[in-house]
Amino acid sequence: MGTINSALSIMSQALDADQAALNVVANNVANANTPGYTKETPNWQENQPISIDGVSYGQGVTETGATSERDRVLESRLDQQQQLASASGSRLTALDTLQALFTPDSGSSSSTAGDIGSDITSFFDSFSSLEASPTSNSLRQGVLTAAKALAGDISNAAASLNSQRSALDQEASGVTSQVNSLTGAIAQLNQQIQSTSSDADAGTLEDQRQEDLSQLSQLIGINQITTQNNGMEITTTSGQLLVSEGINYQLTTGMVNGVTDFFVGNTDITSQLASGGGSLGGYLTARDQDIPSALNSLDQLAYRISTTVNAQNNEGTDYDGVTGTAANPLYIFSQPTAVDGSAASMSVVMTDPNQIAAAGAGDGTGDNSNAIVMANLNSTTSTIVNGQSPTNYYSNFVSMLGATVSGVETENTAQNASVTQLQTQNNALSGVNLNDEASSMTTFERSYQAASQVFTMLNSIMASALNLGDQTTVS
Amino acid sequence: MQQIEERRGYPKLKELVVEASRALARLDADRLEEMALSCQALNRDLAHVDGNALAPLAFESKEAAGDMAVFARVLAATRANLSVMNRLRELRAGHFEYGVPQARQWRRTESRHGDN
Repeated sequence: MGTINSALSIMSQALDADQAALNVVANNVANANTPGYTKETPNWQENQPISIDGVSYGQGVTETGATSERDRVLESRLDQQQQLASASGSRLTALDTLQALFTPDSGSSSSTAGDIGSDITSFFDSFSSLEASPTSNSLRQGVLTAAKALAGDISNAAASLNSQRSALDQEASGVTSQVNSLTGAIAQLNQQIQSTSSDADAGTLEDQRQEDLSQLSQLIGINQITTQNNGMEITTTSGQLLVSEGINYQLTTGMVNGVTDFFVGNTDITSQLASGGGSLGGYLTARDQDIPSALNSLDQLAYRISTTVNAQNNEGTDYDGVTGTAANPLYIFSQPTAVDGSAASMSVVMTDPNQIAAAGAGDGTGDNSNAIVMANLNSTTSTIVNGQSPTNYYSNFVSMLGATVSGVETENTAQNASVTQLQTQNNALSGVNLNDEASSMTTFERSYQAASQVFTMLNSIMASALNLGDQTTVS
Repeated sequence: MQQIEERRGYPKLKELVVEASRALARLDADRLEEMALSCQALNRDLAHVDGNALAPLAFESKEAAGDMAVFARVLAATRANLSVMNRLRELRAGHFEYGVPQARQWRRTESRHGDN
């Protein structure tokens, strides 16, 4: 009788265990489309055997819970790649706006920053025109009109860059509250996970934490360190502590030199965040490097053109026979006192076209020697803007901006591809057995090897075509 | 060259490179292997043509240079990901080798107490 009861008990427990396992499976199915959900597998524990009349009988198994099938290494790698992709993505968006500013709009009739290149040419060409007829009032007026277009477009470009910098500053500042909300949630989840289990998987809670980590990775660059009982420490990529198990350290902001800086406690971590990753890293890189660099180039251009053209005009004789002096200079542009801010403040101060000094010092008003010197300030041999002519300097600036955009675009495409690969692998590995995992890895390896072959072949084809094709063109 | 044109037709080099990057991003091994074979064939054909016929291809190569840089970066990222996945596989495989971790634990405990 005892044996029958034992057998029934084993069957009953087996049914209970199966029911629990079915619940786990049902949970997996129900959450198949839940973002961040990790598939769970039931845990089985063997029951202690019983001994009846000296014979040992097994007691079957009991379901003791579920374990999430997660790979922290893979999740961590995915988070890391997401940080890089988000950083280059937000930087690229800012750079695209920046580049658009300096792209000529052929459909627009009004002068814009995109016309600076043609403005420079028009301005110096207006002196070439004046050479032929230095006393012509309309040609003199043409010089001032061209000067106004150039100064207006450069100062508008500087204003647009400053506006873009302010907009990025606000975007960056807005990330702070999201970061604090996420680090707060992660700290709470850490506490719950640590109290739920010792070295066991806390399933749903860990899924939530991983989801929060993934979101945090899109905002800032972080490192994660697993601590006792599946707790976690989170630092910035340069080591500033943001979460220590159940405690989170608030990110705060403050204005420093007109822009928002970021602090943890009293430590200014702005530069750390800029190089760290996430969309905040991208915003800060654009705000603190890309835009200031573009502004500096414009400042250099404005400063050198203004000071050189003013100095040259001051050396000549105007239509009324006057030569400029220190007390009464014949300036076309407002005279900048420093490079910084020259672009924003560039303007035309000359109102009387007769003050254009086309003639050389001491020469008659019909002379054109100073107009020739002015026109040559933009010749190919000119070195007035950091060793280059104004046109060449501006052209190089636009080319370098294009190269930067192209480089960041390449990085962003590659990083997004990497994120896609890792997400594919993460989905494939979540809850699969070792055979499936091996198959998934084989696909990964095959893809890499085939792609390497494609790359090598294409490289060889392109090298052959370029070498032989170029030779053909030359001959 | 006629043969190459027939074999190649379209897509152009630039499109090939872009597609290779995309296929690699989604780990489409079958497509990449097909592309490797196509590229092999094209490369073989190129060995038998004179320089004049390569001029259009040289132009396409210049057009595709930027996308090759992207492809190179995706390939480098894949290599890094593959390296992580391989380490992960070793880790997971080690996890299933019952007995080995306990043996290591035992040795560590013994030597720590110095009673062996």
